[in-house]
Amino acid sequence: MSLRKWLGTAALAAVIAVAGWQSQAHAAGSVTLLNVSYDPTRELYVDYNAAFAKYWKGKTGQDVKVNQSHGGSGKQARSVIDGLPADVVTLALAGDVDQIATQGKLVPVNWESRLPNNSAPYTSTIVFLVRKGNPKGIKDWGDLIKPGIGVITPNPRTSGGARWNYLAAWAWALHQPGGNDATAKAYMAKLFKNVPVLDTGARGATTTFVQRGIGDVLLAWENEALLAIKELGPDKVQVVVPSISILAEPSVTVVDKVVLRRGTREVATAYLNYLYSKEGQEIIARNYYRPRDPQIATKYENQYPKLNLVTIKDFGGWANATKTHFSDQGTFVQITTQQ
Amino acid sequence: MRFPLGLAGAAMALIPLSAALAQDAPPAAADAAALLQRLDEAEQRIKVLERKLELQDEATTTAATSAPVVRAQPNRWAIQSADGASFVRLRGVLHVDGRHFEGDGSPATSNTWLLRRVRPIVEGTFANYYDFRFTPDFGGGKAIVQDAYVTARFKPWAQVTVGKFKVPLGLERIQSANDTRFVERAFPTSLVPNRDIGVQLAGNLAGGKLNYNVSYTNGVSDGSSSDSNASPDVDNDAKGDVSARVFFQPFLASDNFALRGLGFGVGGTYVDSTGSSTNTLLPSYRTPGQATFFSYRSATAGTNATFADGERLRWSPQFYYYYSSFGLLGEYAVVSQDVRRVNGVVNRSDTLDNKAWQLQLTWLLTGEEESFTGVTPAANFAIGKPGRGAWELVARVHELSIDDAAFAGGADSFANPLTAARRARAAAIGLNWYLNPNVKWSVDYELTRFDGGAATGDRPDEKAYLTRIGLAF
Repeated sequence: MSLRKWLGTAALAAVIAVAGWQSQAHAAGSVTLLNVSYDPTRELYVDYNAAFAKYWKGKTGQDVKVNQSHGGSGKQARSVIDGLPADVVTLALAGDVDQIATQGKLVPVNWESRLPNNSAPYTSTIVFLVRKGNPKGIKDWGDLIKPGIGVITPNPRTSGGARWNYLAAWAWALHQPGGNDATAKAYMAKLFKNVPVLDTGARGATTTFVQRGIGDVLLAWENEALLAIKELGPDKVQVVVPSISILAEPSVTVVDKVVLRRGTREVATAYLNYLYSKEGQEIIARNYYRPRDPQIATKYENQYPKLNLVTIKDFGGWANATKTHFSDQGTFVQITTQQ
Repeated sequence: MRFPLGLAGAAMALIPLSAALAQDAPPAAADAAALLQRLDEAEQRIKVLERKLELQDEATTTAATSAPVVRAQPNRWAIQSADGASFVRLRGVLHVDGRHFEGDGSPATSNTWLLRRVRPIVEGTFANYYDFRFTPDFGGGKAIVQDAYVTARFKPWAQVTVGKFKVPLGLERIQSANDTRFVERAFPTSLVPNRDIGVQLAGNLAGGKLNYNVSYTNGVSDGSSSDSNASPDVDNDAKGDVSARVFFQPFLASDNFALRGLGFGVGGTYVDSTGSSTNTLLPSYRTPGQATFFSYRSATAGTNATFADGERLRWSPQFYYYYSSFGLLGEYAVVSQDVRRVNGVVNRSDTLDNKAWQLQLTWLLTGEEESFTGVTPAANFAIGKPGRGAWELVARVHELSIDDAAFAGGADSFANPLTAARRARAAAIGLNWYLNPNVKWSVDYELTRFDGGAATGDRPDEKAYLTRIGLAF
């Protein structure tokens, strides 16, 4: 190709590049991030994003705007795999982030090791939220399968919180005298017979219980239950602490393929790192999540009930738990298909 | 103390009654409690049903934002994304032609049915701004790529196209093959490029009143596409053609409807390139019946073919005017070509100006509006129904004349006057029947007369009956 032809083609290519670039990304002084999160973290990230923007502006002079997407954790993971351009994901469980790594190939498989505490900057657990006065006398998991009890929980196929609910219930059943997988499965079948509505996410389930007035007990994230009491008032609902629950560890990570394309790795990494800062941990605690920072945790310890907790390790990790309970051949599908 | 008998008796009678009354009160309360419980349960069931409906609506709304839309309509077979930003459309063109010749001008063996165009077309848009089209063509017993391009529509006035596309110069060439009013295009199209590979910047300004384009392509000889190059679909001369065209429709939005249909413009191409005796970069010209009536001398001994050597400048002023059921289209094309021929010790060069023009009249007998693009019948034709489709009468005159200098020089001429005509003049009349927006039947009669091009006298007239059944969607 002649030099003249190359120059002409290059000039036109430059037009394309400039015009295309102008329609992309950001001006030099500002950046946007997309945080794809699970359902109940809306209030947390309203507070956190404002604090991080102030911090980042002070540190770098750059304006950062964080857009949020919320929904059932599994559903959100699926959306990211299908192309939702998340710079970061802050999901309900490590298993959903693992799916993004293995199926979507958007993050490396060793993503958990990149941030402290296996990339879980805070924890939570599962408690019962009941009507004020606990008219149905619900004290523990065994009461949930009594006739006439309405149990509200989201769908474990779409909601990370629902998976923690499911595993906590299963753990209780295993801990009963003579408890084994068969008795646990039988218990879960009776439990889900008492579930009238399956929302896709935890916030939807809270709406069903609190605002629609459906059911007698909500299996809730601890932070969601405490928030409901704060917003509705202690005269409307109250928390019942079951005898056993599960340590829920929501996980966060930068989505490498997206930040590489968008050039936002530095700010996205800083965004997640800031969750571990003193201010980040304060915001976490003020929103009723259990902070990792020992000092902050001690400061807020009275707001959290004392619980006997199992962990995901007791289920062989998320890979095993997903395969055993939440896959197409898992126990959840088996018990709901039989109904 | 002794009670009076009546009082005692009354007291005795009251005992079972009070006992009986005591037994009735609890069941009424129990019934009320049971009723309340049933009411509570019913209320819960209603709330559950309402919530399930709510969740169902949410799921439907969510699905609608991601579910693709499939359209199957006469002029649009497409799959579109839920947000409308992207779609892929399947189109097609099938032209089945018939050619019949009378007289001595063309041998009977030229009579034929043929598949003139067989084009499945895939086109669409991605992310609102990026259009594409892919058009293979299997007509004429070949398989070639007619169009393969991407256009980035950054702004209406700045659209960049890369790939293989029509070089926008000739007016009738620009017109879609589905919309041309005759079976074959007129002579000016023979002098302008068809499809070529390169890059183009184009756009509309002033609310569409001004259309411009500038392109830089590999370069093709007159009337041809890059797949016809000696080395198909690549640059054959290491030099690119620069093309530019502007077209005005100054009264597009005028209140004077009589002027709205006026459009005029001018365009041109330029290259400075050198061919060779084995790759001449020079064209041949064909009649409306697709018979070659002019070629430059090809190599007969050694390397004595005429070849392009130097500048080739084309330019073409053009216009159309449409008003009501009438249309008028005209264009003029000139190609000024530097040529050379080395025949033994004789080495001759010259600049040849070949010219063509046409004037075309169209009249929609059934009263529809004429336009540069297709015709939509007011009432489609269907057997047993009153609609008759749209009927159109068309007529044209056109001419192509070769520079006399091409034939000067005797045996050293650039073209052989005994086989190559100096001029072709044609007149045609035709009838188009648009059965519906997708199916069209055309019948033309075209008489072409020649100056020169025969061993003695002039090449015999070509009297061609051309017909086409065209399907396009």
